Amino acid sequence: MIQTTTRRGFLGTTAALGALGLAPGWTTAAFAQSGNTLRLRIDRDNNVLDPGFMTGGTEIEAQKQCLPFLAQYARDGETFTWEPTYFVTKLEQSDATHIDFELAEGLVWSGGYGAVTASDVKYSYERMKDSDWSGYFEALDHVEVTGERTGTIALSKPFAPFIMITLCHGPGAVLSEKAMADVGGKFTTKFPAVCGPYTYDATPGQRAVFSANPEWTGPKPAFDRVECNVITEVKAAELAFEAGELDCTSVGADTLARYTKDMPEGTGIAVAGELQYMWMGMNTEHPKLQDIRVRQAIQHAVDVDTILQGAYSGTTAKSHGIICPGLTGQRDSAGYSYDPAKARALLEEVGVSGLELTLRTLNNQERMLTAQIIQANLAAVGITLNVLPLDGGPFWEMGQESKGDTWKELELWLMRFGTTPDPYEATQWFTSNQVGVWNWERWTDEEFDRLYDEGVNETDQQKRHDIYVRMQEIMENTGAYVWINHEPEAFGHSTDVTVNAAPSGELNYRRFGMG
Amino acid sequence: MLYYLTKRLGLSAVVIGLVVLVLFSLLHFIPGDPATIALGPRATEEAIARYAEKMHLNEPVWRQFLIYIGNALTGDLGLDVFSDRPVTAIIMERICFTLALVGAGMGWAMLLGIPLGCLAAVKPNSWLDRVTGVLSVGTIAVPSFLVSIWALLIFAVQLRWLPAIGAGEPGQIGDQLMHLILPAFAIGLSWVGYLARMVRASMLEVMGENYIRSARAFGLQPRRVIFGYALRVAILPTITLIGMGFGGMISSTVFAEIIFARPGLGKLIFDAVMARNFPIVQGAVLVATGLYILVVLFSDILIAWFDPRVRESL
Repeated sequence: MIQTTTRRGFLGTTAALGALGLAPGWTTAAFAQSGNTLRLRIDRDNNVLDPGFMTGGTEIEAQKQCLPFLAQYARDGETFTWEPTYFVTKLEQSDATHIDFELAEGLVWSGGYGAVTASDVKYSYERMKDSDWSGYFEALDHVEVTGERTGTIALSKPFAPFIMITLCHGPGAVLSEKAMADVGGKFTTKFPAVCGPYTYDATPGQRAVFSANPEWTGPKPAFDRVECNVITEVKAAELAFEAGELDCTSVGADTLARYTKDMPEGTGIAVAGELQYMWMGMNTEHPKLQDIRVRQAIQHAVDVDTILQGAYSGTTAKSHGIICPGLTGQRDSAGYSYDPAKARALLEEVGVSGLELTLRTLNNQERMLTAQIIQANLAAVGITLNVLPLDGGPFWEMGQESKGDTWKELELWLMRFGTTPDPYEATQWFTSNQVGVWNWERWTDEEFDRLYDEGVNETDQQKRHDIYVRMQEIMENTGAYVWINHEPEAFGHSTDVTVNAAPSGELNYRRFGMG
Repeated sequence: MLYYLTKRLGLSAVVIGLVVLVLFSLLHFIPGDPATIALGPRATEEAIARYAEKMHLNEPVWRQFLIYIGNALTGDLGLDVFSDRPVTAIIMERICFTLALVGAGMGWAMLLGIPLGCLAAVKPNSWLDRVTGVLSVGTIAVPSFLVSIWALLIFAVQLRWLPAIGAGEPGQIGDQLMHLILPAFAIGLSWVGYLARMVRASMLEVMGENYIRSARAFGLQPRRVIFGYALRVAILPTITLIGMGFGGMISSTVFAEIIFARPGLGKLIFDAVMARNFPIVQGAVLVATGLYILVVLFSDILIAWFDPRVRESL
C-alpha cells in the first residue's frame, strides 16, 4: 500500500510538472520579450558613467545613447574615419589648432536643464584636463564660446588625431553644466541630465535598460527599448544568444571559428574592428639578447601562421606591426619571414649554442597556447624556452622601472595592447621617454622620436601613412619584435538586427537597425 | 542549553575573526601593487593616489587592519572601488537572490531525496532501491557546473522551454520562478542523491529498532510507522547534513550564477575577483562565511531542540 501510494504520488507529481513544463503558452509567456526591444549583453555593471572618471567599455556605450557627441566614427571603404553627429550642424578644422562647431537647434537636456549650449561643450571638455582621461585632452588649450550654440575648440599645439580619438570616443561626451553643478561636479551611476534618444536606468548585477527619451527631438532609433543584461562570461553570453535571449553579443575566438565554418540559421557575424596588437617582445639590453643577430634569429624562428591557427583558430589577422587593420600606416607585410634555417645560421654566426631563455606571459588560454607553439619553434633552432605564466598584477609591472627590478631580468614576453582608431596612440608607447615605462624592449631611436612628433602634427593622410610605416620599420629593425596578430572585436547577431559598433568594439545602440 | 549556545557563538566569532584576518591579508599577499592591480596598468598617478587614500594603503598594515575590523563591526565593509557605493548595500541587493536559489535548490532536493530514501529503505534490495542507489551515486558524482551547462544546453538552447539567463523581471513572480528552475535544478541535483543515501541508511538502522517492531506488532498502519515514528528519528543526521549542505550550496551557486548570469553573492564575488575589486571580495566572502556559520549553528540548535538525548547531553 505504501509503495503503491507513494509511487502513484511521485509519478503523478512528475507527470503534472512535466505537463506544466510542456505547455508552450506558459513557458513562452513567462520570458518572452516585447517586439521592439533590442537585447544585448554588457560584461559588467556600469559603475562610473562620468566621462572623466569612467573605466571605459560599456560605460562609453551608455554615454553614446544618453549624451551629445560632436563626432562619430564612420567607415571609408576599408579605413576608419569620422563624421559629424546629429548634434552638430558644423564641425570643421579651420586650421591646425582650431576646430569650429555649431550645435544643432532644439537639443534639450532632461530634467528642465534647458538647451544644450556651447558653454556646456566648454565646461565638459575643459574639466577633462583634470580627469583620469586627461591624456586625451593634453592638446586642448581651451574652448572659446562664440555664441549660444557656436564655439571653437582651441588646441595648444597641432594634434591631428584630436577628432578621431577624443571627440568620437567616450571622453568626447558633452555634459550639462547646470546639472553637473547640482550634483557637485561628479557622478557615478546616474546621469545628471540626458540629451539623446534614450534615458538610462540600471539594476546592479542584472541589467541596464535604455528607454525612449520623451524629450528627444532628434532621429528616432530603430528600437524603443534596449536591455543590456549583465553577463560576465562570454561563453554564458554565447549560450544565451543561441537560446534566443540576446539579439547580439560579442563572441570568442573558438565560437567565431565555429560560426564562420558553419553559421547557425538566422545568425550573422559583424566585425567592428581589430584594434588590438600582439607581439613577442625582447629585451635589447639583456646580456643574452644584446646581439641583434640573436634577436633576428628568434624573429625568423617563430612560425606566426601556426600560432594563428593553433591558438586562435584562424580567426585573427596576421600582424605586420603595431598599426592595426583599417588605420593609416598599416603595413602589408613584415620585413622578416619564418625561416628556421636562417635562424640557425644566424645563431651559428654569433656562436651561440645551448641558449636558454624565459618567456613571460599572462596565464590565459590563447597566450599559453601561443607560448607553447613558440617554445616548440625555438626548440627546433636549438633554443630552450621556459614559459613563465603570470597573473595580471606582476605581469603588468615587470617591465616598469618604478615597480621593482624585474625589468633587468626580462628576456622575452608576450604582450597585447589595445588602441584607438588612429596610429598615434599605438606609437606613443615606444618613444625614448617610455623606456622603463611601456617600452620594455628598451631601445631608443632619434628618428623614431622625431617621426612621432611629425605624425601627431601632420594632417596629410599619405604623409602620415609614410611616417607610421617608417616608424614600424625602425621598430622591426631593432630585432626586438615578433609581430603576432590583431584580434577582432567580433559580434554574433540575429539577422533581424544590423549592428553598429565603434572600431574598438563599443556598441552604439542608437545606430542599430532592423535586419 | 544557554552554555551550549554561548560556546557555539563564541566559536563562531573566532572563526569569523580568522576569516577577516585571512581576507585582509589577501590584499597584501597578492603580488603587485594593490592600487595598480585594481585600477589597471594604465591608471593615472592621481587615480592610484585616490585609491590608496580610500583604501588606507598609506597607513601601516596593523592600522589598516584595525580600521577594517572597526568598520566591519559597525557593518561598514568599505566602498566599491569603482562606483564608490557602500559594499554592504551592494551585498544586501544580491543576497536575496542567492538565498532564493539555495532555498529552491535544497527545497526540491529535500522534496525528492527524502521520500526516495524512505522508499529505498522500506523495500531494501528491491528494483526501486537499486534504481535509487544508482541514481543517487550518479547525481552525487556529477559536479553542479556540469549539470548547469547541460541543463542550459538542453532546456534553454535546444528545447527553449526555460530561460537561459537572468533572474526574471522584477515584480513578476511567475517570470522569476521560471528563471529559478534551471539553476535550482543544477545545484540541487547532487543533493537529491546525498539525501536519499543518508535517509536510506538512517532509516534502515531505525527500522531495525525494537520500538518499530513493537509498533508493527501492534498493527499500526505502515505509513504511520514509517513517517510517524521511524523518519522522525532517522531525519536527525539528515538535518545536520542539510545544514552543511546549505553552506556547500553557497559555493555551488558561484558556478550556477555565472553560467546562468544570475545576480547573487557568488557572481558578485566572481565579478569582483575578475575586476580586482578587493573591498567587494572581502565583504562578500565575509558575509558568505557568516551565513554558513549561522546555518550550521541553526541546524545544531534544531537537532538539540528535536532530540532530547542531544539536549540533555549539552
